[in-house]
Amino acid sequence: MADTGIGNAAAIVGIGRAMAWRDDPDGPKTPLQLGALAAVRAMRAAGIKRSEVGALFTGRTPQSYMVLQYNQALLNELKIGPTFNSEVTAHGGGALGTLQLAALALHAGVIDYALCVTNEASGIWMDQVGSNAAWEGDLQFEAPYGASTPSLYAQFACRYMHETGTTPEMCAQVAVENRRWALDHPHAAMRHKGPITVEDVLASRMIASPLRLLDCAVWYPGGIATAVVLTRAELARSGRHAEVTWLAGFGQCSTHEWVGERMGGWGFAPLEDGPNLVRTGTAVAAKQAYAMAGVGPSDMQIAQSSAPFTFANLIILEELGFCPPGEGGRFVADGGIAYEGGLPFNTIGGYLSFGQVAQGLYNLQEVVDQIHGRAEGRQVPNVERGIVHGHGGPMACHSVVIVSKEPTR
Amino acid sequence: MSAGTTTAGAGVTDWSRGVPLRAGDWFIGLYQPSPETAGFWQAVRRHELVLKWCAGCGKCFHPKRIVCTDCGSPDLTWRRASGRGTVYSFSEVHRAPSSDFAGSVPYTVGLVALEEGVHLFTRFVAEPGPVAIGAPARVDFRVLETGQLLPVFLVGTAA
Repeated sequence: MADTGIGNAAAIVGIGRAMAWRDDPDGPKTPLQLGALAAVRAMRAAGIKRSEVGALFTGRTPQSYMVLQYNQALLNELKIGPTFNSEVTAHGGGALGTLQLAALALHAGVIDYALCVTNEASGIWMDQVGSNAAWEGDLQFEAPYGASTPSLYAQFACRYMHETGTTPEMCAQVAVENRRWALDHPHAAMRHKGPITVEDVLASRMIASPLRLLDCAVWYPGGIATAVVLTRAELARSGRHAEVTWLAGFGQCSTHEWVGERMGGWGFAPLEDGPNLVRTGTAVAAKQAYAMAGVGPSDMQIAQSSAPFTFANLIILEELGFCPPGEGGRFVADGGIAYEGGLPFNTIGGYLSFGQVAQGLYNLQEVVDQIHGRAEGRQVPNVERGIVHGHGGPMACHSVVIVSKEPTR
Repeated sequence: MSAGTTTAGAGVTDWSRGVPLRAGDWFIGLYQPSPETAGFWQAVRRHELVLKWCAGCGKCFHPKRIVCTDCGSPDLTWRRASGRGTVYSFSEVHRAPSSDFAGSVPYTVGLVALEEGVHLFTRFVAEPGPVAIGAPARVDFRVLETGQLLPVFLVGTAA
């Protein structure tokens, strides 16, 4: 990729979060309530006024707040008047995509500040287990066969394990490590469940072979909104903002919509060999991001992924460059992401043990918090930069963002 | 295809459970045969499996394709498939996505790699079985749990 100079051209200067739970004593909250709250907190952290927001990018419409053009609902609530304003909808991958579009506009110099907001409260308002197959599967060609969401992802798992020799034990190790990290996070969904072992995973009930209960992400029993304010390099360096985190590099690649239509070579670079059931657009996105930032996997002190099943995390670790293709299972089995001494990976507990909120920037927030030393109870020493992977289902959309305490070049 | 199982409105299968999805006009093409897939479902009623075919490229495509992704031709026509293929990937479902399917678990869904180079999501039936990657499979037509007639694949015989 040509060096366009966009790496380190934008920075995060404000971040805000709002959370709610199913059993809140003051009653349930909607994603819009949480989104507005997070947005206000992010603007306050950045020290900017409503009038300065040049772009509003939201993730896709929350499943628990289905309106057309959710960005309009939020804009209306905040009474802002941005130049650019849109949902960014590469499934869950769109969440990190909001930052990428913001960076493009900021780098071009057409705006000074962008506000990116993701929010979802499906855990409060919906039966996720029952409803999710309607989102992940093709209603005409897949759902009538009785395809559950795990059974759609299981197609990848079955083929991946077949082609790479990855064992259920290797996959289970991901769940074990994610749970260990979740024990350190005050808001992780599975924190109160205590640690688990490989044996526990293998003994949990079969959901859709080869995926057992503990191979699957847990739905977060609440809602989370995360808002981020970004600005361009010149303003980030102006001294106006209390905290700066550089958007060192980013990439994105989306390849299909339904599992059943994923197959078949695209026939053009860099997708000659796929997508198939063992390779995703993450490798493409990561390559873009590393090239933009001028760094590599060994320069990352921390990594987060929103992959919602054990085996999927192995594929993502491979494609983010932490181990060779097909070696994710052996990498993890050999302690590659071990809580003690391995790559700090999914340090909030991942989708498996922190829980998934369907979409969000909370994995990004974790890396920002780690970089600035406020990941209380789970702080990784000396985090200078980290990589965040955002997955849009089913293994279809992949966003990668590298954030850094200092510009990487 | 009878209206009751495939069109939005009375009797439509609600896949969402939980909070019911309201299938408005914007779901046309998802819940029901749309203009580009109607021929597929008409063929299923005749117990025939058909695929989209580009006369220019001689390539077969998934029944949903609207244009040839190689040459861009919009003139895709229906061509009968051999009905033979192999198991590409599969999963035995133990927790059903809805009450419709709860009485049938475990059952096997997966991707069949057809001789024509197209992959289809389907139900695998272990007759004679077993279901394994690479095992030969051939098409059959069965009424599944929601009352819809669907192409399924019998695994273990190439006949």
